[in-house]
Amino acid sequence: MDKIIEFKNVSKTYDTQTHALNNVSISIDKGEFAFIVGASGAGKSTFLKLIMHEETPSRGTIIVNGIKVSNLKRRKVPYLRRNMGIVFQDFRLIEKMTVYDNVAFAMRAIGSSPAAVKKRVPYILNLVGLSHKAKRRPSELSGGEQQRVSLARALVNNPAIIIADEPTGNIDPEMSFEIIELLSKINEQGTTILVVTHEHDLVRQFNKRVIEIKKGRVVSDTNDPLLSENADEVEEVNFTVDVPTPSIDDVIAEIKEQTDETNSEGNSAEEEI
Amino acid sequence: MSFSGLGYLIKEGFKNVWNNRIMSIASVCVLISCLVLTGSAVLFSMNVSKLVESVGDSNETTVYLDDGLSRVEAVYVGRDIQKLQNVEKAEYYSKDEAIKEYKDMLGDEVFDNLKDDNPLPDAYKVSMSDLSKYDKTVDKILKIKGVDSISNRSDIARRLTDINNLVQTLSFWIVLALGIISLFIISNTIRATMHNRRFEISIMKSVGATNAFVRIPFVVEGMVIGFIASIISTVALIFLYDGIMNIVSNLIPFTAMPIMSVIWYVAAVFVIAGIVIGALSGFISIRKYLKKEGNEILGW
Repeated sequence: MDKIIEFKNVSKTYDTQTHALNNVSISIDKGEFAFIVGASGAGKSTFLKLIMHEETPSRGTIIVNGIKVSNLKRRKVPYLRRNMGIVFQDFRLIEKMTVYDNVAFAMRAIGSSPAAVKKRVPYILNLVGLSHKAKRRPSELSGGEQQRVSLARALVNNPAIIIADEPTGNIDPEMSFEIIELLSKINEQGTTILVVTHEHDLVRQFNKRVIEIKKGRVVSDTNDPLLSENADEVEEVNFTVDVPTPSIDDVIAEIKEQTDETNSEGNSAEEEI
Repeated sequence: MSFSGLGYLIKEGFKNVWNNRIMSIASVCVLISCLVLTGSAVLFSMNVSKLVESVGDSNETTVYLDDGLSRVEAVYVGRDIQKLQNVEKAEYYSKDEAIKEYKDMLGDEVFDNLKDDNPLPDAYKVSMSDLSKYDKTVDKILKIKGVDSISNRSDIARRLTDINNLVQTLSFWIVLALGIISLFIISNTIRATMHNRRFEISIMKSVGATNAFVRIPFVVEGMVIGFIASIISTVALIFLYDGIMNIVSNLIPFTAMPIMSVIWYVAAVFVIAGIVIGALSGFISIRKYLKKEGNEILGW
């Protein structure tokens, strides 16, 4: 399979000397669906920003859809971004525009003809199941619906990759499930999907590739969702290592770290509920 | 992409002007004062030039001939004047020409009671190559037979020219200052719009809009402000000019240059200047935003 995103020994250091990413090498194939998980501050956002060329790597090479992103000229950046649709945690819908106009805006911004807009937008709204709310304003919609508008906007220019940054962060669990299901459906039609999330419960419900980033490094990359989960359950399934085996001490240390983190996250989530 | 795709962004530029109307009005007002002042200075200067011309340019002396001199005698006098060293040019200026010019300047009715009588003498208009030898040359001319007197109006002309120069210098600096102020105010107006629309800018950038496209609405906004200001300025200038010239013509016998003869020229210059200043303001003010990425645009 062709690689659509490729990181080769990529490091990113910010001015403050913090290592946001440390020597990351990873590749994502065309048509793949991958979750990127990790605690906040682990380097997920940097990972996305590097793909979108909102940041440039301090070291290493990044290739996205055949475009070498790491030393791309400024004026070429817009054309890189037309390969990807971004879904934001906070939806970023424009309140004074209707649902239809919000989606159409992404096409108009890159100069699509009015005829193309008229043809494409209703099709996409239908795809995300919001045709009947085309004339509503974002504030009149539920969180889940707003996120579907945001998804429609990301899809409308027919990008090769959809990047969803915590798409379920602001919506309730059932809606979250629906959003990920919708993304899977889009994935089945060939679009590569990257979903950044810290909701392990959600990840567990889908049998997809899971890349875990911790302290700027990829600490696990597997198609077995259980591996990146709550450590209690990891113990229950009698944790076996089928990734290249590090020393057993490292593994134990790793599990302990995960336990601490996921437990604290889990607790706070319970409190909220 | 297609050209028709630009329509939407251009329309957004027009909407910006309306959505941000208080600031737009402020911008239009400043630009109007700048344009009207520039226009007034130019028109003033044109009128002074006209006046100077009618008084005779600064390097021209009128030599009046004795009354009743025949045409042939006049030609001889002319030749004598021409022979003098410092005389560059001596042009015959008949009394018919003279009265016609006065009539043009002051209006026919002033001369009505003269009927066909022409009290003016024939004359030569003499230009000198070296004005520092002016007095000597005048003495020599006065000695020529047939010369009655010399009228030197160059003092008035010189003073008018001085005033004109002063006005031109002064208005240049005022216009420059006002130009910079309007650029500043318009870009602030557009910056306010941009702040309101930073969400849209960030989304445009994230979907891959080129910088040129992100700019369009803001440049259009500036151009619309510039255009509105230039039209109002043109109309304002017409009324202002007519008003002032009415007062002036009551004070001194002078027919001002009619504004309608240059109004299209003025309007064209205003429209171009307004649009260029406006577009420039939009262009400048968005630069800062175009360098930012993602959440930086939103100020997060």
